[in-house]
Amino acid sequence: MMECRSLSARHGTFALTGVSFTVPTGQYGVVIGPAGSGKTTLLETIAGIVPATAGALLLHDRDVTALAPEARGLGLVYQHAYLFPHLSVASNIAYGAASAEVAESVARRFGADALAGRSVRTLSGGERQMVALARAFARRPSVMLLDEPFSALDPRRRTVVRREVRALHREWGLTTLQVTHDFTEAGLLGDIAILLDGGAALQSGAPDELFRRPASPYIAEFLGAENVLAGQVRILEDRAPDWLDGEPSLLAHGHRAIEFTSGPLTLSTVGDFPAGAGYAVIRAEEIVLSLESPSGSARNRFRGIVSEVSTLGALTRVTVDIDGVPLVASLTTRSAKELALAVGRQVTASFKAVGVHLC
Amino acid sequence: MHRIVAVLAALASSLLLLFLAVPIGKLIGASGVAGIRQLASDGELRGALGLTALTATVATLFGVLGGTPLAWLLARRDFRGRAVLSAVLDLPLLIPHPVAGIALLLLLGRESAVGGVLLAAGLRVVGTPLGIIAAMLFVAAPLFISGAREAFARVDPRFEAVARTLGDSPLRAFYRITLPLSRRGLIASAVVMWARAVSEFGAIVVLTYNPKVASVLSYDRFTSFGLRDALPVAAVLAVLALIPLTALRALRGADDGVAP
Repeated sequence: MMECRSLSARHGTFALTGVSFTVPTGQYGVVIGPAGSGKTTLLETIAGIVPATAGALLLHDRDVTALAPEARGLGLVYQHAYLFPHLSVASNIAYGAASAEVAESVARRFGADALAGRSVRTLSGGERQMVALARAFARRPSVMLLDEPFSALDPRRRTVVRREVRALHREWGLTTLQVTHDFTEAGLLGDIAILLDGGAALQSGAPDELFRRPASPYIAEFLGAENVLAGQVRILEDRAPDWLDGEPSLLAHGHRAIEFTSGPLTLSTVGDFPAGAGYAVIRAEEIVLSLESPSGSARNRFRGIVSEVSTLGALTRVTVDIDGVPLVASLTTRSAKELALAVGRQVTASFKAVGVHLC
Repeated sequence: MHRIVAVLAALASSLLLLFLAVPIGKLIGASGVAGIRQLASDGELRGALGLTALTATVATLFGVLGGTPLAWLLARRDFRGRAVLSAVLDLPLLIPHPVAGIALLLLLGRESAVGGVLLAAGLRVVGTPLGIIAAMLFVAAPLFISGAREAFARVDPRFEAVARTLGDSPLRAFYRITLPLSRRGLIASAVVMWARAVSEFGAIVVLTYNPKVASVLSYDRFTSFGLRDALPVAAVLAVLALIPLTALRALRGADDGVAP
């Protein structure tokens, strides 16, 4: 287990302040955040390279806050690999290896065995990252810290190496913490996501929870939520609205039926949010577009005109103007073609009450 | 306008280059061959050159031993008083060298506490090769420290950080990573220190006139016998200065390339 308790550190002029989160043993944590948010400093503080100025760090229930990096039993891979340039690839991998067999095995798994005879100066960025991963895993640490370790890999190799990292993590029961700026990667790998900004942890939890239920409009926008609307929250007295068919348990846990008004739009949702000002977050993939009014259970339905269509490979983003309020929907390119969506076309945008998150 | 500035800059640079190169070239051209020939017959010159090389080497060894940890400390650690320490270490480079010699005489002369203790231990500094080494160390060690500090600073500390996470203690990471990666810079700094020690005159002449090192011998020949007798000795010193200069060029030619 990795537990940060109000961990603070200073690195030059940058300060990490009161960071708290837990990654249980065998779980994969991902740290996301904008550039300069302190992601690398957090990893270096956990590794013991940057000394903590306050708080505590526990690794497997042992307080390691004051321990030297070599006594913490962890591995660290930087984004830029930091291979030792005066050593060969093989010597780099063997540098701190638990045994020659482990070094050989991980080198093979990461495809670094084919590079063994090469000088590290001749390696490409992707090859350097593969060797750096093999070097760190060869030590067989119980905790692994990875700082954007796949950023220099081409897409095909990235998939293979990411799969190997995840496999080793599972086989060895590692506790892993990885920094990434790739939300897809965070969702693919992470059991727990920690959002860092300005040296502070803004929110942590399951990646899906973080993406669907951001704690603030800032987090929602940072995590790529396309529709963040400012408005007023009104609590409805109706504790069993008919539009919540099939999901009565939501109201049974202290949730209320809520009406959210943002300009000309009035949305129906549920939650435990207090009345007053707030923000509604609707992810683009929650919005369904149809040419006619759909017959489904979605409570929120609005007629609008398509104002923009952007095709991004298999997905298409469509902006629908609803009385001056733009709503962005994401659908498969195939569906967009079937609906013959084009600028100026009238459509209905619909989404469920539970697809609206208030913050 | 730009053209005029460019022409003036080229003219100024050319004049400076000529001013720096012509005297040395003229000295070697006029007496270089004669000086090398004189080596075979002039025992005093051979002795002075040998003593210079030996004392400069010993001074450089002391400089490297004591200066390497200091340079590492200045490059890697941020501590209170670092700026003051840097200034103190640069001071010997800024004061006139006879003044450095006088300061050393105050510290190591027989009248001083340290000199007294050394004398009691059978070590006489003034008027012996020890005085030469002390003078060379004082004026040349700051050059090594400054160069070594730069060499350490060029090695990204994250190399050491990775080595620490791979099980190295700080000392082990220093020997296995920092030292090899800064090796060329450290050797170059030691060569610069050695060359500076070889060329020292002002501080040595105050502490130890005899036995004579090469620089003191060339001065002695000039004041005792005139320019004609001093020229071959001076030319030999100029030729020998090419050795560390060539070594430096070779070291700087092959860069370490310590990018991550």
